[in-house]
Amino acid sequence: MTSATLQRRNMRVGMLSFLAAAGMVGLGYAAVPLYQLFCQVTGFGGTTQRATEAEADLAARMAQSAGARTISVRFDATTSHSMPWTFAPEKVTETVQIGERDMAFFVARNDSAEPITGTATFNVEPEQTGKYFNKIQCFCFTEQTLQPGEEVRMPVLFFVDPAIMDDPNAQGVEQITLSYTFHRKSEPASADTP
Amino acid sequence: MATTAEGFQAHTEDAHHDADHKPGFFARWFMSTNHKDIGTLYLIFAIVAGILGGAISGIMRAELAEPGIQVLGYWVDLMGGEANFDANLHMWNVLITAHGLIMVFFMVMPAMIGGFGNWFVPLMIGAPDMAFPRMNNISFWLTVAGFCSLLFSAFVPGTAAGYGAGTGWTVYAPLATYGHDGPAVDFAIFSLHLAGAGSILGATNFITTIFNMRAPGMTLHKMPLFVWSVLVTAFLLLLALPVLAAAITMLLTDRNFGTTFFDPSGGGDPLLYQHLFWFFGHPEVYIMILPGFGMVSQIIATFSRKPVFGYLGMAYAMVAIGVVGFVVWAHHMYTVGLDVNTKMYFTAATMVIAVPTGVKIFSWIATMWGGSLEFKSPMVWALGFIFLFTVGGVTGVYLANGGIDDVVHDTYFVVAHFHYVLSMGAVFSLFAGFYYWFPKMSGRMHSELLAHIHFWIFFIGVNVIFFPQHFLGLNGMPRRYPDFTEAYAYWNHISSAGYAIMAASMLVFFANIAYAFIAGRRAPANYWGEGATTLEWTLSSPPPYHQFETLPVIEEHHDYHDHRPATA
Amino acid sequence: MKFGDWPTRAARFATILWAAILLALAPQAAHAQAATEAPVAAETVDAGAAADVTADAAGETDAADAAGGYEPLGPEWIKGQPTPGALDVQEQYSPIGKTATGLHVGLLWVMGVISLIVLALLIWVIVRYRRGANPSPSKTTHNTTIEVVWTLVPVLILVAIAIPSISLLTKQYESPPEDAVTIKVIGYQWYWGYAYPDNGGFEVISNMMPEDEARAKGFPAQLEVDNRMVVPVDTPLRIQTTAADVIHAFAVPSLWFKIDAVPGRLNERLLTIEEPGIYYGQCSELCGARHGYMPIAIEALPRDQWEAWVRTQPGGTVGGDEPDAAAAAGDAAATLEAGEAADAEAADPAAATN
Repeated sequence: MTSATLQRRNMRVGMLSFLAAAGMVGLGYAAVPLYQLFCQVTGFGGTTQRATEAEADLAARMAQSAGARTISVRFDATTSHSMPWTFAPEKVTETVQIGERDMAFFVARNDSAEPITGTATFNVEPEQTGKYFNKIQCFCFTEQTLQPGEEVRMPVLFFVDPAIMDDPNAQGVEQITLSYTFHRKSEPASADTP
Repeated sequence: MATTAEGFQAHTEDAHHDADHKPGFFARWFMSTNHKDIGTLYLIFAIVAGILGGAISGIMRAELAEPGIQVLGYWVDLMGGEANFDANLHMWNVLITAHGLIMVFFMVMPAMIGGFGNWFVPLMIGAPDMAFPRMNNISFWLTVAGFCSLLFSAFVPGTAAGYGAGTGWTVYAPLATYGHDGPAVDFAIFSLHLAGAGSILGATNFITTIFNMRAPGMTLHKMPLFVWSVLVTAFLLLLALPVLAAAITMLLTDRNFGTTFFDPSGGGDPLLYQHLFWFFGHPEVYIMILPGFGMVSQIIATFSRKPVFGYLGMAYAMVAIGVVGFVVWAHHMYTVGLDVNTKMYFTAATMVIAVPTGVKIFSWIATMWGGSLEFKSPMVWALGFIFLFTVGGVTGVYLANGGIDDVVHDTYFVVAHFHYVLSMGAVFSLFAGFYYWFPKMSGRMHSELLAHIHFWIFFIGVNVIFFPQHFLGLNGMPRRYPDFTEAYAYWNHISSAGYAIMAASMLVFFANIAYAFIAGRRAPANYWGEGATTLEWTLSSPPPYHQFETLPVIEEHHDYHDHRPATA
Repeated sequence: MKFGDWPTRAARFATILWAAILLALAPQAAHAQAATEAPVAAETVDAGAAADVTADAAGETDAADAAGGYEPLGPEWIKGQPTPGALDVQEQYSPIGKTATGLHVGLLWVMGVISLIVLALLIWVIVRYRRGANPSPSKTTHNTTIEVVWTLVPVLILVAIAIPSISLLTKQYESPPEDAVTIKVIGYQWYWGYAYPDNGGFEVISNMMPEDEARAKGFPAQLEVDNRMVVPVDTPLRIQTTAADVIHAFAVPSLWFKIDAVPGRLNERLLTIEEPGIYYGQCSELCGARHGYMPIAIEALPRDQWEAWVRTQPGGTVGGDEPDAAAAAGDAAATLEAGEAADAEAADPAAATN
């Protein structure tokens, strides 16, 4: 083997390895949307689903034909350290018919002297119910801006998919907690550091 | 390995007299492209980093010798800060962060892969040098630059409480983004970037070298197991480190440029950082131990005067460990709020790793079975490795159980576990490799007596440090605590005493090196005798500056390795 | 202890090391044994006795607390805490802890036996195949039978471990019943908040008790807190965790309970405490400088005493106290006050600790 061919082969293997490494960097970044997608599709980590009105109608009909039971839903509200809002559910728990639409309200008040935009993160517990917990409308789909002292009632329209009754993992679940955390929308200058 | 190379050592020296001409000091050590010189630089660097990382653990054990905060204030003052309650506590977090990062990235990895890998992979496969000698040099200096960046981070503001990054070596978000306003975390992250880039280049180099530059006749299935271990490690580095690089880059932009990859206020998820980190972090622990496996295999075979038992099984066990190592990461995250099915999967997958690991342990014992064992210093360290790694391995199986992990997660039990596999597994194999090859590298014999004394004191020391930590952890003591309630004082005190024993043994180690250079006998080509069969033993000690200008040819028939088809 | 004399002491220690280890292990084992017996004795004290104890104590406390019919438990009620020199896990007081202890002990045996087998094999080859005893090595390099055996036997052992392990996981993830008492644990830098959303939504802020004060009162330093998380005993608890700033972990070793508190998400786990008493835990995820100084203290009380405690809290209500609507209306305000209280009460334990 001459040194010239060896050098060519080395370059080839070296470049391939390097491309593999570059590909893994790409995969690291791709993990951000992929993880989000994975959570949305599988309900991993208690990620809730988004549903249309049509899907909600279908679920309601299915639930009726299946003779669905009721399930308790707990509403939980948290604010992050940088968020000078008061944020709480109107009712802490509610019993809902599986498959039926239900509207719950959260109350938020801006206690500071400046307008503040917030975004809410959310999940349900127990986590295996994430893929059955469907939101048709939610204040968490968009950003919310509150003026100083302003108080708003924010609705969430949801239903629990009747398929939950067929999932052995969800058999023992008597109560689903829907939890929201309001964060101050971070500004480019890293506004949430003290 | 039986080769036709016996005669060609002389050939090298006769015919290539000029080739052995070494460049001047600066060119040789700062612009080096010679794999042996770079290996030496890596080893010196790793020893320096090891001294620093070890000294930091000394401060930590001194602080933990008794309840209360006694020692940290002194170091805050020394580092130019103002000792107060929070500054002392922050200093603790800086120390644990530095200890972890230094030992992982600047001690074990450079020594294993950069040091022994650079020195002996080309020698063992009969190659004149690495495939990309100049890139090899870049790898080393990137690692050094990374180390400097990490050291620098200790002298720039971290939190309001003081200088340095107090995030733990895992640099979890949001701890690394919230409250750590100063640039210290940026420098720590940059340090990982540099060291990571160096390691990725190194991995590319090793893969190319091993694939393309083996001597004629040396098929993959005839490569020494150390070369196999470095090959698998290089693949792990190549696939795992870029993910870390991506994760910490996102962390860096989260910190400085307003992105919100891991910040829930912008739709990010802090748990995603943990997934990414541990997708790198778990292969990383195999990166740190696999070359050790390889070295121990060579050493056991040498001093048993017997070929490695189940060569193919040994090689493919490492491949299996590497592959499975990529799909078990979330066992570091059992308490973050995983659902039950995820936890069951990771429990099962993690336990699977015990099978190839068991194959390796039993194959080492089977190699010795029927052998003619000689207890030279490398062998003693390798035997110590097998036992202590087994202890670390079984506690790993214990920790793999998601339901059990709830009580020991983030306690000293975990600390004890990973120090048994690293501080004892990896470090014992490093010392075994060091004593095995030191005369080959330096041309001088070390003192076998001092090496044995070093072994016994070190063995006692590390066990006294880390075995009681199992008890502390089971009883509930959380890790990363600078202080503890009185109930934990008993075993902590013993653990700290163990540190003094271990530290004493290191004096013996350095005395031994000094002895070797001052008064050590000149080492012959093969100072371990007939059991040492790999190609490096056909060369002088130290090997010529340029070796294998005429490639050695590996004979078709020798009994070192298994010749069955690869059915494993 | 000063840094200077540490090496001296350590060196002295080293000289008597092996003796110390040998001496230590036996009595410590006995010590651990004795320590576990103490709580066993306490187990015989039933809920009624607990009521008596607190009633007696009530006489000598300040009027505000006594008026509510609630008095914090004294040090004689400490159940879950580390034991000096202990070798094993803390005594378990939750059903899951008791189940897990079985697997834990089994695993300890598996670990011990495997380590000893490897050690025995190593000693055997060292003795039998040393050069003096076996000058000419064999050339054996494979034996398919033995290789299959040492692959399959570990697999069987792992399967034997996996079965109870998976069933433990299943049990751990049982969902809390609908009527479980809900406690929302919120991690802050560096203290805990315990909110009771079903009982008026008040939030208890829990800081570490100054070490000297804790010692003076007979509590373990660095574990005792000013306001404990008070819960009813023998009742399913729905523990929900979240955090306001960075990740913390809510961990109580004697209840086999550990769950991270992650900002921006809620985690939930079922917990049942079987005996009245005090159970200590500590934050178990690095959360900044005072990570080591945000302990957890759970006080489990008989139901009636727990209800009495709830009524002493601002806005605290129990089930039938008030109509639901009124309670719900109060929630928002109560949460707000609790939040403000959280900021206000985040006391500085620095002075106390140094």
